[in-house]
Amino acid sequence: MKAELLYGHRPAADWREVTARLDISLTEDLTLENLQVHYALFEVPMEAALECLPASLHPAIPAHLGVTFWRCDGGPLGAFECAWLGLACRTGIKPRHLIHAAYVTRADVGEWLQRRYGFNYEVADVHYRENYDRLQGRIVQNGRTLLDTVTTHMQPVVGAGAAVKYSPALNPARVGDQPMMVQMEAGYSFKRVIRGTPQLLTFDAAGLGDARITPKYPMSGTHALVDATLHAPRFTADFVVPAEQGGAKKIAR
Amino acid sequence: MKFGLFYELSTPRPFTRDTQKAVYENAIAQAVLADELGFSSVWCVEHHFLEEYSHASCPEMFLAAIARETTRIRLGFGIATCVPALHHPIRLAEKAAFLDMLSGGRVEFGTGRSSTWNELAGFNASVDDTKRNWDEYCRVIPQMWMNERYGYEGTYHTMPERNVLPKPWQDPHPPLWVAVTGHGTELDAADRGMGALILSIADVERNIPRFEAYRERVKKCEPVGAFVNDQIAVANWLFCHKDGSYARQRGEEMVSTFGYMAGQTVEISEAYPASNYTAIGLLGTLRPDPHAPGEHKLPPSGLCFGDPATLIDTVRRWEAAGADQLVFMVQAREVIAHEEVMDSLRLFAREVMPHFSEHKPARAAVGAR
Repeated sequence: MKAELLYGHRPAADWREVTARLDISLTEDLTLENLQVHYALFEVPMEAALECLPASLHPAIPAHLGVTFWRCDGGPLGAFECAWLGLACRTGIKPRHLIHAAYVTRADVGEWLQRRYGFNYEVADVHYRENYDRLQGRIVQNGRTLLDTVTTHMQPVVGAGAAVKYSPALNPARVGDQPMMVQMEAGYSFKRVIRGTPQLLTFDAAGLGDARITPKYPMSGTHALVDATLHAPRFTADFVVPAEQGGAKKIAR
Repeated sequence: MKFGLFYELSTPRPFTRDTQKAVYENAIAQAVLADELGFSSVWCVEHHFLEEYSHASCPEMFLAAIARETTRIRLGFGIATCVPALHHPIRLAEKAAFLDMLSGGRVEFGTGRSSTWNELAGFNASVDDTKRNWDEYCRVIPQMWMNERYGYEGTYHTMPERNVLPKPWQDPHPPLWVAVTGHGTELDAADRGMGALILSIADVERNIPRFEAYRERVKKCEPVGAFVNDQIAVANWLFCHKDGSYARQRGEEMVSTFGYMAGQTVEISEAYPASNYTAIGLLGTLRPDPHAPGEHKLPPSGLCFGDPATLIDTVRRWEAAGADQLVFMVQAREVIAHEEVMDSLRLFAREVMPHFSEHKPARAAVGAR
């Protein structure tokens, strides 16, 4: 029996003009100690996910959106805050988030994230704080609040479950001259994890890069204190050919 | 060593009525053949909303259909989900007893709690409570079967005294099992005197410490039922063919298809970090971990793909490791033609099964209260 598989419908041409460019010469590991990471997940309608994912990616079932904030108070890149949004998907069986919006407080850090991982960033006021009873994340650009989220009813996650499986970011970017999707590579050492229920106070879908992606149902919101080791990207994915048919390739250096 | 079948009822897209019916009918026909061939059990999972991967939302109906077309094969809930949002414990007790009556006492009652966001969120279940839910269900369901009237005040349910009907045909009740995925759950099974239905396929040798830990721990159990079921059943894959190379190729196709389907769902550990979900669950453990580093994940050793001589050797390794039963998945999204599955079962029954003692001495009375 020949099976039909579920892939995204978005044409690859939509990424033809992508400007972010990967610098494959950046290969040194970089460690951000005591990085605060907020990772909130929201289900989105499957139809929207299929419209927004390319033909090489399978949507996660149920379809969902990941919102990630990083607050870094110092280290090799200095102090900065950043945030990105991506649709959960699969390359083959591997969970990924296809990033459609990224924001950072400092342009020089944004440049680094773009050269290193292909993040197509914009400078914005990114603000993430852990308060005594809640997590608050906000993205404001030119006075316009794009995203305002609060996570409450926090509880500690302990024992062997005290880790968060961050789905790696997949960024549309040029590798050489070719638009591809570049996979972020990072390892995390968890020092503390708490989890609660996320809520979106403001979600300007159009301002956040894609009006079709509108969160409908909260999944979880976590705060983690981690040491993050950022590795050089190793793989790219094609927009049309799925990973299981050879569309995922190692970056030649 | 006993042998059984294990069904997820995975279904290829597009989900037409004809396709769905064919998946169910093929599986029933395979179970009927397995009964004739001397397989000892057929198990069916319970899953909801798991597109492609498992369209087995009503396992008791599937098992009831098999029950009426067979005479000997045992019928396993693999598993009944012991979570209030999905089932009240009374309903599980009733369904299992009803099937036990219809089948003349052939039910194996497997229990578990689900490991996917798809299911638990779909039913708006409290993810943090599932382990405690399961523990309560394991303790009260046997009481509903054994007592003419029973009532209790639990943490998750309270019922005034009622006569839960029917009672099972098996006296005092069907054997109890726990689905074991994460490490440590085999000890939860042992502590309660329940069989371990090991759903994490791994190398034979890697399972030995788990089997030994279970065997040791179950000696000191406090059974939740009337007797100790100290059996270890291990889920596995089967494709038997005279041409071993062809068998391995088709077998790996099934594993790869299964992994692909399982990979699209959302595990709890991916969606909702929680202290009671420390390991990837059933879906994750039946496939290579997608979060694991490395490009190519090899299927674990100990899978039953090959010619009869190879499979005799593989089964002997499982037997030596301490497994009492191997329960086989024989299909994944219908990638193997139904007739080939039937031929594989026939060949295995004819040339492999005679090398193994089918029935071990019953342990049902050990540790009875």
